[in-house]
Amino acid sequence: MSSARGRAPRYVCGMRTENLIDALRATLDKQLQQARALRELPLVQLEQRPAPKKWSVLEVCEHMNLSCGHYLVHLRRAYEDPRARFTPGTEHRPGFWGGMLTRTMQPTADGRIKMPMSTLRIFEPREAPLKRLDALDQFIHMLVGFQQLLLVAAQRGMEGPRIISTLGPLLRFKVADAFSFTIAHQERHLLQIERTLKALKA
Amino acid sequence: MQLVRSTIERYVPLTDAEWDLVRPYWRERSFGRGALITDVGQVEHWFSIVSSGVQRMYVPHDGDEVCIGFSYGHSWSGVFDSYSTRTPSRFGLQAITDTVLLSIHRDDMDDLCRKVPTMERFGRLILEQLVVGRATREIELLTLSAEQRYRAVLERSPQLLQLVPQKDIASYLRMTPETFSRLRARAR
Repeated sequence: MSSARGRAPRYVCGMRTENLIDALRATLDKQLQQARALRELPLVQLEQRPAPKKWSVLEVCEHMNLSCGHYLVHLRRAYEDPRARFTPGTEHRPGFWGGMLTRTMQPTADGRIKMPMSTLRIFEPREAPLKRLDALDQFIHMLVGFQQLLLVAAQRGMEGPRIISTLGPLLRFKVADAFSFTIAHQERHLLQIERTLKALKA
Repeated sequence: MQLVRSTIERYVPLTDAEWDLVRPYWRERSFGRGALITDVGQVEHWFSIVSSGVQRMYVPHDGDEVCIGFSYGHSWSGVFDSYSTRTPSRFGLQAITDTVLLSIHRDDMDDLCRKVPTMERFGRLILEQLVVGRATREIELLTLSAEQRYRAVLERSPQLLQLVPQKDIASYLRMTPETFSRLRARAR
């Protein structure tokens, strides 16, 4: 499995909404391609930890199902809510927290992780050993869900209700920030998967 | 996944506890009509059971392709020599129709055989069946006339005519499409 990293678009500065959506879709397409390629690997490899305290590929997938899955649920809910009003703004300006957290989450252009973070307990992939390959299939399904939502966003716009963050209702993201943060988070962990597979081969 | 269990149990019995170990290693893989499942030169990593669809195995020859076998409805599929030896395949495996395979990766099969010895026996029985199948085909090709080969295949796999394009069956029987059509007309 190979993927050219350092390709994640810098989509957190103010930019035209349609360009942001295009950039997010392009990144998601690559992520989906990478996730589907994982399905070609044996289960024994996907379940193997590179070191006792490091996650296996499936554990990383399950972590993303839990953390990024939160945003998929809430974004979908927002677009499906008949009372929610979306307006197609021409330019996206990230919110303070949304922009800052997305920048922190994004790997650098050469694929390095700027700031390692510890995982919240609720996002630890405890179920991964039970779910096994289902964790990967769920991850792929989630990426497809984000792709579909971005198509909706392209039609209805991204200026709408705030999206509750994984930290709770005190921190709410703009819709575009919720997409950007999640996709940056996935980028970070797909890099981790690349490193994991490399370590297993070594 | 019930198809995997019922197929394995045609050869060896599995307890529920064994099945719980076996099941997670199998996965569904889907291919559109015409897709190459395993290309020539690629190492075959998968041993598969056909859930749906028809596939052909072929070998490139003199700028053409010779069909050497088919898989369909609950039979095995895969490029078995490449799977066994982990060397690049001399054959191609292609989906003739939309295909769903239930597959296990070679590394996973090895792991599974260590955990469930019954699966080792299952593997041996499959291998025996494949050897018998290959020997039968070789004898037919070397000793039977075109008409006899046609009748032998019809007897063994009558559904083949409904499932596979005539040109592929003709290639499999080592005859021209014209000869195949003539034999088919005569048989009606």
